[in-house]
Formats: sequence, structure tokens, C-alpha cells
Amino acid sequence: MTDCGCDKAKAELEEFLHNELSEQQCDDIREHMAHCDDCSAEHLVGLTLTERIREACQEKAPEELRAMIEVAIARSTTNA
Amino acid sequence: MSTMTLDARHSSTAVGEQAASVHWPSMTDELRAERAEQTEAASHDDEAVSRESALAERRAMFQEQALPFMDQLYGAAMRMTKNPADASDLVQETFVKAFAAFGQFEQGTNLKAWLYRILTNTFINVYRKKQRDPYQGSIDELEEWQLGGAQSATSSSSRSAEAEAIDRMPSGVVKDALQTIPEDFRLAVYLADVEGFSYQEIADIMKTPVGTVMSRLHRGRRLLRDSLADYARERGMVASTAPRRTR
Repeated sequence: MTDCGCDKAKAELEEFLHNELSEQQCDDIREHMAHCDDCSAEHLVGLTLTERIREACQEKAPEELRAMIEVAIARSTTNA
Repeated sequence: MSTMTLDARHSSTAVGEQAASVHWPSMTDELRAERAEQTEAASHDDEAVSRESALAERRAMFQEQALPFMDQLYGAAMRMTKNPADASDLVQETFVKAFAAFGQFEQGTNLKAWLYRILTNTFINVYRKKQRDPYQGSIDELEEWQLGGAQSATSSSSRSAEAEAIDRMPSGVVKDALQTIPEDFRLAVYLADVEGFSYQEIADIMKTPVGTVMSRLHRGRRLLRDSLADYARERGMVASTAPRRTR
């Protein structure tokens, strides 16, 4: 494991956040963040942003939509 | 049965025998044809029945496997169309198309990604045309500075304050911020951050190279972050000098 340095860490933080890096690359970034407040704070912003977006976007489809879909599918097969 | 009586009646005379021998083949042909007709009709019925049951089976399978994604697809459709009526229509259309193509879906592969691909296609082909967003097309070419939010050299303490402000941000504000960023960026952010798709899956869904996905994601998140930071500043949510509160 090697500390990858701020520039590389900052460039790869978003991919790190989205699980797009290799095990080795992840280890390097973690190693760097353990010693770098700046990068770990930056990562926290990214992480928090993702969590808030995910929470904000939870939707429940209207009650009647499922029935509407089933009817539409049935109709589409009889017409075919 | 009737052929037996016929046979018995004619068998005593030569003529009758002749007649019978002439008659026999024609009678059996008729019978054969009749029987064949019946079998054919029966096999038609069988076919119709089996086709019907195959369809019912496919429908049951589709309902069991695909319909559970309805809420998620609706959430994505809401981010795309920005209103419940269009979102419902879009989801419905997506499922109808998906069902029609369900035979081509390879069982065991990623059904969710497959459904999202159909949703995105349908949205682009049907709804985006209606909306005529003048922003589209040129958005990927916009330079970083045009999008604002130059990454300023902020300290780690102000970054912590930023994270805290984002954490306290009401969901409605986050949603509104998401709605204001360009559509392609919004979709990339949604697919990555809400749905957890990989970059490659997003590239397949949006039909763009992975590099474009990465840039849309990066820019989209940057814009969101800036927009939320503006909101926090306006509301006085970020006061870096104020004591940190713990929840």
C-alpha cells in the first residue's frame, strides 16, 4: 500500500465513491485519506451528497399505476 | 359402422363386390379426410391453448420479475419528466414495451438495467422531443468555467461544514436542485447515486462512452454541490465560525 498523494486522490475520489476502482487503487486512496484531512473531508462531502440524493429521490408510484400497467399489458397482447 | 353394413349388403354379388371395392377406397378417403380435419382442428385448439398458456406464463413471470421495479422506474421517470402524470405514462409505456420484448430478455442478466434502458429510450424518443429542451446537444461541450463552480481552494474545515450543510438539507431542496441541472447530467447522477449502476451500465443505458458518463457525473455533482452551497449560504446554514452541532 502506498499513499497516492492529494492530486491523484482528488482526481479519483468520485470513482472511489462509485466503486469503480480496483482493490489496489481503493487501498491507496484509503491510505492517503487516513493522513490527509483535506481529502477525507472532500470525500465526506461526496459521500453525504450521494446519500442525500438517494434519500431525496425515493418515490412511491401512485396506487393505481400497477393496475393500469397490468391492463395495458393485457390489452397489448390481445391486440397483437 | 355404415361401411360395414354397406360391405355386407354388397358382398353377395359380383357387382356388389365390384361396387364395394370401388366404394371402399372412396369411403375411407372421405373418412380419412374427415378424421384429418378433426385432428387438425384439435391441434389448432391445442396450439391456441398452449399459446394462451405460454402467454399467461410469460405474463406471470413478467409480473413477478419486472413489476417490482415499478417504484424505482417511477422515481427515475419523475426525475426525467418532472411531473407525476407524464411519469406514470412513461412507466406504463416502458412496461408494455418491456413485456413485448420480454422474450428477448436473457434470463439471468441484469433485468433492472434492461428495464432502465427501455425507460431511457422511451423517454428520449417520446418525451424529450415534446419538451424541446434548448440545452440539449451542446451540454457536453460546455466548458467547466461556463458551468460555474470553479473548485476553489477551500480548507478542510469549510469542507466539513459543507458536508454538514448538505446533510441537513431538506429533501425537497435536494430534489429541486437536481431538477435544475441539465437533463443528461441529472440522469447520470440519478443512475449512479440513486440506482447504484456501474459506469459501464450507465454508458449502456444512456448509449454514450464511459468517459462521457464520467464527465456528466462529475459536472452534474459539481453543479448540485454548488447549488446546495448557494442555498445553504442564502439561508445562513453554513456559518463556518459557528460551533459545530452534533445530532
